[in-house]
Amino acid sequence: MAAAGGEERRLLAQRLKAAVHYSVGCLCQEVEEDKAVQFSKQSIAAISEITFRQCEIFARDLEMFARHAKRTTVTTEDVKLLARRSNSLLKYITQKSEELASSNMEQKEKKKKKSSAAKGERTPGEQEAAVTEN
Amino acid sequence: MALAGAGAGGVEQPVLLADLLAELGLGQAQATNVALHLLHLHLQQRDDVALLVQLPQQLLRRGARRQRVRVIGGAALHRALLPRRRRRRRRYRHRQPHGAGPDGGGGPELHLHRQVDGLHVLGRAPCRGLGGGRGALRGSGGGGGGGAGAPGPLSLALVDAAQREDGGDPHQTGLSVENRSKSVRSTVAKQTLAVFPDLRNGTPRLMLKRVMQNQPQVSPLAPQISDHEDTQEAHSEVPSKRVSSMGELQLPDVAPEDTSITVFHMKKKRRKLSISEFERAAERRLLQYQAQSTLDSTIMTRSLHMSVGSLLAPDSVEKRGLLRRPKTRKAVDMEEFEGRVEQNMLKSKGQNDLVDSQSASGIRTSILTSDAEMMMNSTELFIQPQLDEKSQSKLSALEPHLSDSKTSAQRSLISDADQEEARLKGLVSSVSKNQGRTQRYSKSSSLDDEHVDRMTRVSPETPAEQGEEKQSHSQQSNPMAQIYFTEEVVCSAEHGASAGYSEDLEKKLAEKGELQITAARDSRGETEMAPSAGEELEEGSIGAHGSPRAEHEITRGIGAESLARHSHAFSSLNKPEMTPLNESEEQGDELQDQALMLNMDSSDSSDAEDEVEHLASQEVSMKTPAFVRAPAHNLLLSTPHVAEPAAPRSPMKLLQPKTVPKKLRASPKKPREPQMPRSLIKEIFRHFAKMPVARDAFQIVEKCSERYFKQLSNDLEAYTHHAGRKTVEAADLEVLMRRQGLVTDKMPLNVLIERFFPLEYRKLLIPVAMSGNKVIPCK
Repeated sequence: MAAAGGEERRLLAQRLKAAVHYSVGCLCQEVEEDKAVQFSKQSIAAISEITFRQCEIFARDLEMFARHAKRTTVTTEDVKLLARRSNSLLKYITQKSEELASSNMEQKEKKKKKSSAAKGERTPGEQEAAVTEN
Repeated sequence: MALAGAGAGGVEQPVLLADLLAELGLGQAQATNVALHLLHLHLQQRDDVALLVQLPQQLLRRGARRQRVRVIGGAALHRALLPRRRRRRRRYRHRQPHGAGPDGGGGPELHLHRQVDGLHVLGRAPCRGLGGGRGALRGSGGGGGGGAGAPGPLSLALVDAAQREDGGDPHQTGLSVENRSKSVRSTVAKQTLAVFPDLRNGTPRLMLKRVMQNQPQVSPLAPQISDHEDTQEAHSEVPSKRVSSMGELQLPDVAPEDTSITVFHMKKKRRKLSISEFERAAERRLLQYQAQSTLDSTIMTRSLHMSVGSLLAPDSVEKRGLLRRPKTRKAVDMEEFEGRVEQNMLKSKGQNDLVDSQSASGIRTSILTSDAEMMMNSTELFIQPQLDEKSQSKLSALEPHLSDSKTSAQRSLISDADQEEARLKGLVSSVSKNQGRTQRYSKSSSLDDEHVDRMTRVSPETPAEQGEEKQSHSQQSNPMAQIYFTEEVVCSAEHGASAGYSEDLEKKLAEKGELQITAARDSRGETEMAPSAGEELEEGSIGAHGSPRAEHEITRGIGAESLARHSHAFSSLNKPEMTPLNESEEQGDELQDQALMLNMDSSDSSDAEDEVEHLASQEVSMKTPAFVRAPAHNLLLSTPHVAEPAAPRSPMKLLQPKTVPKKLRASPKKPREPQMPRSLIKEIFRHFAKMPVARDAFQIVEKCSERYFKQLSNDLEAYTHHAGRKTVEAADLEVLMRRQGLVTDKMPLNVLIERFFPLEYRKLLIPVAMSGNKVIPCK
């Protein structure tokens, strides 16, 4: 059972690594075209391996941050804390999170409108829920 | 046991058997045990108790010559053994009431074992059998082991008959007792001396048992055995006499018990003595440690402190040795810090345009380096007039900081500052609680390590704050201020002010200087002395704030120390006055030293940065403390620098009233960020580099470390904010360390603490349960 679980995990990890490798390869290809440089296979493999390990570290840190804030859900706040180190990355992430939040807000508002149009009673509840969520 | 091998030995040749065993490499005790065991086995079929008894006796005697073992005469042995048969019937009777046959046998058997052990092991390291026998006797459950391990030759001999039988029916014969002992060996554990008091009645055999029991037990500690040999032998002497004298003894049960009990006591006492001796030796070692140069240790401890701010709670003066190491460094940091704080205050108070410009955080940071130097310079007594304004502003800025910190004892300025403050507070509180001094000292030292400037700023302030809260600061501060001023005077080559105090202070300061890098500091010239004195005064005042408050008892000492520190802080300032201070330093209290250390550290750092001007700033700094302590002004007036201080005083006064509770917070990263003392960085780097390092390299290293700590503090702040708190706590630090990769799933924080921290810090961080339901740190 444990061995099977371990096996499963390993297979899953391999699949994930393969997926990461593929994505990294695609990105490297784009960079190649962009900068007119060549990427060797080994370098792509190395980059994908590093990315995979760093993702593991990220996951652990994110979980730690969430626990530090006495939460059980990893939120964008944790992600922002994670990306603090690099200013540009932090800005980018903050930007994206704001966009997402605003888009979510828009969607909720649309829903509220629809729901309000459809059922007047629910809108207050939804609004409250949306407000609390946000 | 090489029973099989020794089995070849015949019973008829006990001596040869013993030799054989000796050849096999067994110890005398073991040899005897083995021999007896073998004989036992051989004699199982025989009921020749006498022969059995003879053999072990011979072996024992042989061994006794070398081991100084006393062997009870064969007559006594016989008597002890023979009554066994007589008591066989008795045993029946006894046993019935008890119901547990084996138990009855086990009881006397146990005694026998012990007795045998006692005889056997006198003066020897414990044998297996002895240990086993002992354990069995004590109900430790080692009966089985004891039996297996040939508990004792005598017991074996006695038990020959028992072994012969299956040990099933203890009621058999007189020897069944032994038999039972064998079968009961496993159940020996349950046996206790008190099980069958009847059997302890005074028969020769019982007497012998008692004698053997009361013999000094086998002690794993050889030296102890030798020590107690005499006692044991004496002990055995008495019982043996009793045994021999009594044909039929009806000794009270209490007697053997008492003897056995006393024997136990002896053992315990023995151990206690050894422990106390050990402690004494440890203390001696500690002293030696202290005597040695503390630099290395300070460095190490400082490095330890760097990453984790810990509250130091030195429990006793004895630990001083461990705590003293950081002393030398801390003092400097404190002085620098104080100087900078004052400058900061001056700045923030908006003395002049300079203040405004400087107050601009951005500008401050940009000018930090230059400001830092200026700040450092300001700590000196005679700062160039050019820097007067700046220094004044800085000083004024510092002043409010000081006052702020004082007023807001519990403010958490910055994540670091908060930590430091907390530490300081804890330090101060602990100081007030316990001897405190050492704690404070260590705390200050630890704090300094991390954020010298901030710490120096905060530490003097927080201790001052706490002191104020706790005691009449003013009174203390005033005398302190006076002392400082006197010190200053002295530093400025006036020396005239308060002879006694200043001298004492100087002495203490001198000690401080020695502890730290005073040598370099003291090299200051006469001219510099004045400015340095001013600096010292300022810092001393700052330090005095903290120190007297922290240590109400030691106002003078603190002042002196702080002054001394300042003097030392003004690095490379050889002040003749300092020398006497150095001398007196060692006399100062630890706490004072700590406080001074703090001050010194700050001053040192500042001094290290700059040795030049700062005359003006010096004066201002001087004023600050003077101003803070009204009475001190008088002394200031007496000083030559009075005129200059007058000018800055007014700004100081303006600043004082503001006191801005959140002053420190208002100037987020303070106009000038406190810096780590260069000397500290140099020393640590040199220690780890293990090769000469260029001066430029040190500068780079300093910049890197500054950057590192800045980033560290930023991260801590972010983590604290992330958790919705405003005070940095240990959890935040753990998150940081996890991010850094120091703490992993395999390496928990506690392990790191235990690995790198000395005992005092460990106790602070890791709750330790002490006797009396006391847990340190108490929460």
